[in-house]
Amino acid sequence: MAGPSTTMPQTSGVLETLSDDLAGAVDRAGQSVVAIHARRRIPASGIHWRPGIIVAAHHTIQRDEDITISLADGTTVAATLVGRDPTTDLAVLKVDEAKVPVASLADGTGIRVGALVLALGRPGNAVTATLGVISTVGGEWRTWHGGTIDRFVRLDVSIYDGFSGGPLVDAAGRVLGINTSGLSRGAALAIPVSTVNRVVDQLVKTGRVSRGYLGLGMQAVRLPAALVERLSLPNDVGLMVVSAEPGGPGDTAGILIGDVLIAIADKPVGDPAEVLSLLGGDQIGKALTTRIIRAGEPQSVSITIGERPRESRGARRGR
Amino acid sequence: MIDASVEPLGIALAELAATLRESVVEVRTRGAGAGSGIIWSASGLIVTNAHVARTEHATVVLCDGRAFDGVVTAHDSRRDLATIAIDPGAATLRAATIGHPTDLRAGDVVVALGHPWGVTGAIALGIVHVVDTRRGAPRWIRADIRLAPGNSGGPLADARGRVVGVNTLIAGGLGVAVPTTTVSRFLDDVEARRAGSGSRAA
Repeated sequence: MAGPSTTMPQTSGVLETLSDDLAGAVDRAGQSVVAIHARRRIPASGIHWRPGIIVAAHHTIQRDEDITISLADGTTVAATLVGRDPTTDLAVLKVDEAKVPVASLADGTGIRVGALVLALGRPGNAVTATLGVISTVGGEWRTWHGGTIDRFVRLDVSIYDGFSGGPLVDAAGRVLGINTSGLSRGAALAIPVSTVNRVVDQLVKTGRVSRGYLGLGMQAVRLPAALVERLSLPNDVGLMVVSAEPGGPGDTAGILIGDVLIAIADKPVGDPAEVLSLLGGDQIGKALTTRIIRAGEPQSVSITIGERPRESRGARRGR
Repeated sequence: MIDASVEPLGIALAELAATLRESVVEVRTRGAGAGSGIIWSASGLIVTNAHVARTEHATVVLCDGRAFDGVVTAHDSRRDLATIAIDPGAATLRAATIGHPTDLRAGDVVVALGHPWGVTGAIALGIVHVVDTRRGAPRWIRADIRLAPGNSGGPLADARGRVVGVNTLIAGGLGVAVPTTTVSRFLDDVEARRAGSGSRAA
């Protein structure tokens, strides 16, 4: 039988160049992508962020001890968990020796809608690559668990095993962020470099990311127009206290269920997220004046901000 | 760098698709739906998946719509490969250019051509997802590419349009292709068996 023909198709070199660029980016960036053995079945992806420091997605690290890491050079080393920040879905691990390069971090300018990106992972021996684009870029946002992420970066990429904890890289192989499907109902998001750096700094320093805490459960309520008018309130929504942690900062300050918070430290609050944004770790120990409405009358209550207790490690699913 | 090349990229992709399409056929069998096939030689040898060519006879339709009666001449369900012979008569067949699957790197651009959901001659763009680092020729090519039923038996090609695999299945969202190195071994085995048994040429 006749063999296959050897004539080349007529195409310009653009696709070949793209192919070479992408494969080169995967090869370069892939050197710092590691496999983390900290769960059953498939290993999780992580990235050699700074010398000896590995960053991963919190939800993929399912145990705190007996963790090993496989590097791009084929070696496997023991790792210790430095800390976790469930609010940003990041975890930091430390290794004594990692003879692989650290990630080349990009500045934030490459994060723009339509940018061609690669999501890398290492859910085993070999590096994996997925092609996509950045589909949405927004400003600072707050996660379900109260973490602050500098920019909202949503990706149009397929999510395969090893996606979470792997780097998002540009066509030059520079790292734009860390991918996770664990922050927004399985959607492919990236945590930008600046946020990762901030969380890594805190975890390396203290082993955790501290957050302020009121110990109050609140729900937004619309205030009667007559009350808004009578008290000259800046807006017509407040936060009704629906639960108070016994012995928590709010309870200790005398806040009762049914009180309606309208301002904290002179800032009006009409959404629980606004309260969270006022409770950074730097507020712990400070006494903040809280304006409440109780029995139709305004009152001021001083609450000493506590520290949020460490969250239990949620065994959320994700890849 | 990438931004500046987006328009030429589209043109290059369209050219590649047009060239590749001439070497892709639709394979229709009674009972089973339609799959795809690759023109392996201008004399009328078509390579497809075993699960596409389950019957003794198949209708092979070229990209220009001309249809030929084909005979399934070899069938290997373990490799999921089959061959179909057609007599092109006066028609000129354009055989696919075969590439080197062992040269593929993770991130390399790949395109698939086939008939997903019966749509004729559709192209899909993706990249090689993972290259197994273990020794020996890989059994599969795994690509981050969107395939559908009907792509089966069609080509997965590299950025130069050289066929590197036969699209065979979708696993966990990944396109999985049998490397053309495996196809060559399959064809060698078929040839050897034919020579050994002294059967007449099909």
